[in-house]
Amino acid sequence: MLTRSLKIGIVCPYSWDTPGGVQNHIRDLAEFLISAGHDVSVLAPAIDEAKLPDYVVNAGKPISIPYNGAVARVLFGPVAFARVRQWISQGDFDLLHLHEPAIPSISLLACWAADGPMVGTFHAAAKRQKIIFAIGPILEPAIEKLSARIAVSEAARLTLTDHLDTDAIIIPNGIYAKRYAHGKLQEKWSGNTIGFIGRFEEPRKGLSVLVDTLPVISRFAPDVKVFVAGPGDPEEVIKSIDPQLRHRFEFLGRISEEDKADFMSSVALYVAPNTGGESFGIILAEALAGGACVVASDIPAFDDLLGHGEFGALFASENPTDLAKVVIDLLRDESKRKKLADRGKIHAQLFDWTVVAEQIYSVYEMSIVGSEKVRLASDTRPWNRFLNKEEKP
Amino acid sequence: MSQWLLVIIIVLIGAWYLSFTATRLDRLHHRVETSWANLDVLLQKRAAVALEIAHSDIADPASSVLLTAAAYQARDADIQNRSQAESGLSGALGLLLEDSEHLETAADSALLTELSALTDKVRVAIAIHTDAVARTQMVRRKFIVRLFRLAGTAPLPITYEFEADVL
Repeated sequence: MLTRSLKIGIVCPYSWDTPGGVQNHIRDLAEFLISAGHDVSVLAPAIDEAKLPDYVVNAGKPISIPYNGAVARVLFGPVAFARVRQWISQGDFDLLHLHEPAIPSISLLACWAADGPMVGTFHAAAKRQKIIFAIGPILEPAIEKLSARIAVSEAARLTLTDHLDTDAIIIPNGIYAKRYAHGKLQEKWSGNTIGFIGRFEEPRKGLSVLVDTLPVISRFAPDVKVFVAGPGDPEEVIKSIDPQLRHRFEFLGRISEEDKADFMSSVALYVAPNTGGESFGIILAEALAGGACVVASDIPAFDDLLGHGEFGALFASENPTDLAKVVIDLLRDESKRKKLADRGKIHAQLFDWTVVAEQIYSVYEMSIVGSEKVRLASDTRPWNRFLNKEEKP
Repeated sequence: MSQWLLVIIIVLIGAWYLSFTATRLDRLHHRVETSWANLDVLLQKRAAVALEIAHSDIADPASSVLLTAAAYQARDADIQNRSQAESGLSGALGLLLEDSEHLETAADSALLTELSALTDKVRVAIAIHTDAVARTQMVRRKFIVRLFRLAGTAPLPITYEFEADVL
């Protein structure tokens, strides 16, 4: 994959300290590129500078703004703009990779400030918003500077074409498939069990849909157990569960990557009842790689990732009755579960970093032409060239 | 007095906007050229690999003739006929690959792996190029661009009709 060592600058719009899909993606990509021999610098906002890995450059403290149904911790403003410009002019990059350049963040600032080979990755999937018609004309000339656009899923691509009238290449998010391939079967999680991983307090993760299904499922499978892993306070959720069924739920808290691999190979079913706001579904890719039989809501991102039901079962989103039907059907039929899981595990190899990074790298190659480097856009404007000449004696 | 100031401000903003649009258009033309250069190189490589396949044991004599003809046509086509010739090559390759699941030697399958890697890249390059072309055409249709002839003497980029599904 390595033809020559590149100097790559990656811009992360969200705070590096807060966990999130985009941050994880950038971390894994940066580490993969570094291990392949490239020189990578990541510019990201951060709260605690001491905890940053050495390839991350702090852009300043993020502020919280509401965005796409959640709170996004981003950074912009004149001070941030100056930092971004400084990072670009000192970095001497062959290429910039901007993540989520269409939201107000340092990614957009970098897109505005730089000139030269640039690649943008669009992660978000959102419904069509009117607001974009107001800010579109401002965004378009900036987004247009990207030599190539990548969307992480069909849903993200549609969001982009809807809002900004531009197309993108689809390259999925990456996982380290090998990490999940050899999970051990844990007695405590096996049997008639259902697994769930995620920040269950957020309504869009859909744990309440699963909770609503349980009275029906437990009638058909009396020994069913639900394991919920992920950060958060289970108090509220437990209150919402029927007291007779509370002992069927077990909250594990945040689990490690090794435990995750074991978890995926142990549970009978992995359920992802997300109600929306999901653009890729990295957890499903991990579940498939871990050999789990997956049941997911039919939101566009999941439908796409699971090959319209070929690699995992789908149910009508936010419909507990349909979920119960699918779950009961699968709990009763072990061979069907096995078939789905086996197909899924093979499919998950497509999301392995070795495949995904290769695809991203070939987009890099096509964006870099000759030995042209990333410069500040202002340096190439005629009047600035004139001014700079005046300053130098 | 203040009227003059207003006029000056408007003229300055107008001048800035014209310069901004000209820079934008220049960048777009540059993108069209570079993305086409990329695509062109990849297509040339693909034609070369197709010729190698035609001369290897993968192809039977009949498909070998077909493939060689298509590859040469794609190589020699001028810019107007290029996309048609490339689609012809895609078709010829598609026909051959349909029933070549069973391969004897490692060298043959190496050729096919190279071809499929190239095909993936070509697909990406086409997407990048058509997007650049579409954007440039869009900006050039703007009234202000035509009025002030901001595009200069650069030729209007041509849309290439690549049949992405064949590739």
